[in-house]
Amino acid sequence: MKKLILVFSVLSLLIFIRPVFGLGADTNSTNNTSVSTTQVELSEGEGVFDGALNGIKTFYSYTGFANSSSGNVIMIIIGIVFIYLGIKYDYEPLLLIPIGAGVILGNIPFVAGNQTGIYETGSVLNYLYFGVVKGIYPPLIFLGIGAMTDFSSLIANPKLMLLGGAAQIGVFATFLGALYLGFNLPESGAIGIIGGADGPTAIFLSSKLANGVNIMPDGTTVKNLIGPIAIAAYSYMALVPVIQPPLMRLLISKKDRKIRMKPPRAVTQKEKMIFPVVALILTTFISPSSLPLLGMLFFGNLLKESGRTERLADTARTKLIDIVTILLGVTVGASTQADIFITKDSMLIFGLGATSFVIATCGGLLFAKFMNLFLKGDNKINPLIGAAGVSAVPDSARVVHTEGLKSDPTNYLLMHAMAPNVSGVIGSAIAAGIILSFLG
Amino acid sequence: MIHILLTTDPISEGYVILITGLLIVFSALITLALFFNFGLPILLYVYKIITKGKDKKVSEIKVKSDSGFTGEISAVIGAAVHMYTSEQHDFESAILTIKQVKKPYSPWSSKIYGTQNRL
Repeated sequence: MKKLILVFSVLSLLIFIRPVFGLGADTNSTNNTSVSTTQVELSEGEGVFDGALNGIKTFYSYTGFANSSSGNVIMIIIGIVFIYLGIKYDYEPLLLIPIGAGVILGNIPFVAGNQTGIYETGSVLNYLYFGVVKGIYPPLIFLGIGAMTDFSSLIANPKLMLLGGAAQIGVFATFLGALYLGFNLPESGAIGIIGGADGPTAIFLSSKLANGVNIMPDGTTVKNLIGPIAIAAYSYMALVPVIQPPLMRLLISKKDRKIRMKPPRAVTQKEKMIFPVVALILTTFISPSSLPLLGMLFFGNLLKESGRTERLADTARTKLIDIVTILLGVTVGASTQADIFITKDSMLIFGLGATSFVIATCGGLLFAKFMNLFLKGDNKINPLIGAAGVSAVPDSARVVHTEGLKSDPTNYLLMHAMAPNVSGVIGSAIAAGIILSFLG
Repeated sequence: MIHILLTTDPISEGYVILITGLLIVFSALITLALFFNFGLPILLYVYKIITKGKDKKVSEIKVKSDSGFTGEISAVIGAAVHMYTSEQHDFESAILTIKQVKKPYSPWSSKIYGTQNRL
């Protein structure tokens, strides 16, 4: 056995070395004169070593080390920070970890033209990104959200629906802010929706308005802002537990924070079944452009509440939404390729996103205080739940709950906060529809 | 509509969208709220009249024994269970150790007791 291996290795070594010594069959056939032989030998030997060196050089020129720019390195570090935040602090890990991995994936430096990058037609990532660019993923996510959401607290106390509308002031205020900063109308609309605190809606609207394909009536092409907008929306959604509590403490007095709300009445199954159908018809009649989002949302809810399609509802709220979340997270992350992402616009969008979250939260809180002026005694609402009117389901409701517990450890606001929270989803989808119908 | 608006300043169009947008969002949600405040009870009442009170099975179930058990308490219990289960991790040491086991001597395959060896 050992002999066999020895013979084999010697043979293979000879085969590899053969060209160096000029022992190849083709050189033997040209062995007419010794001069020519030596020449052949020399040139061949140099050729092989040069070839090997050149090969290594070309290989090196294709590696990430040769092509990396400072932008790539910065973005890879950001991706690692996202993953770290998701794991260490548990800030929406289901989103931050896929996005973080996607950011790293999208910023590995490569040589253009080999169908590698997400923006190169024909690459696999480009095909997966198709679902983002064409706005396919967001309605599927909404289907899953609908199959997860329990609207009963909203049905029990319909007036809380207005809080979800009040928080949408953040959308329109950011829209104006973006206009003042010099973005054109469709881009501003897409940036404004960050204030809706709803990742799928933001991606949906930016894929329709600021996709880098649409041409404005004056001949200029809109910029591709899907990446920055999605990243801003998702990262601020993850930062809701950081952004909202200081504003709550600033705007709501200690006494108001202790208001107890009476428990919502029990809602019958019949009402729960009627809700998705009626809400679907009413909202989409008012704002037909939000049909893909709201249609799927209420369809998913109908699957859940009808009681006959438990299998479909189960798939929609577990497997389907998981699959879409994976694809969405990775491709949105990968779309932050440094040469496209690190621009002045992205920085402005991040700034606007932060202000829009602040404005939306303040809008919700102040409107809740305003509503309290008209409500008497037992019906008074705790103004804290206004902050849940920015969607960010269910994080902002949880934030409201923990903030309420800090001022009164026996005051459970979670159930009440869910009502403005889900109506915030409806409200931001309607707002997206309105912006789309004005500017699309 | 877009062409008419484009002749004007984008900022002023922004204000138009701001006002109309907010109005529409609010009106949509107000319609929904009004419907579920007033329309739904009427619908359910009409349904009750049409079916002539056949649908009383839900009300027959007595829930007096746990009238203090409100929806918010169940929500809190649900949240607590969720947080408890989601924060459970089983941290296992990644270091694997293979302990050497000393076997007692067994002569079952010993060559000295083979058929070739005649002692």
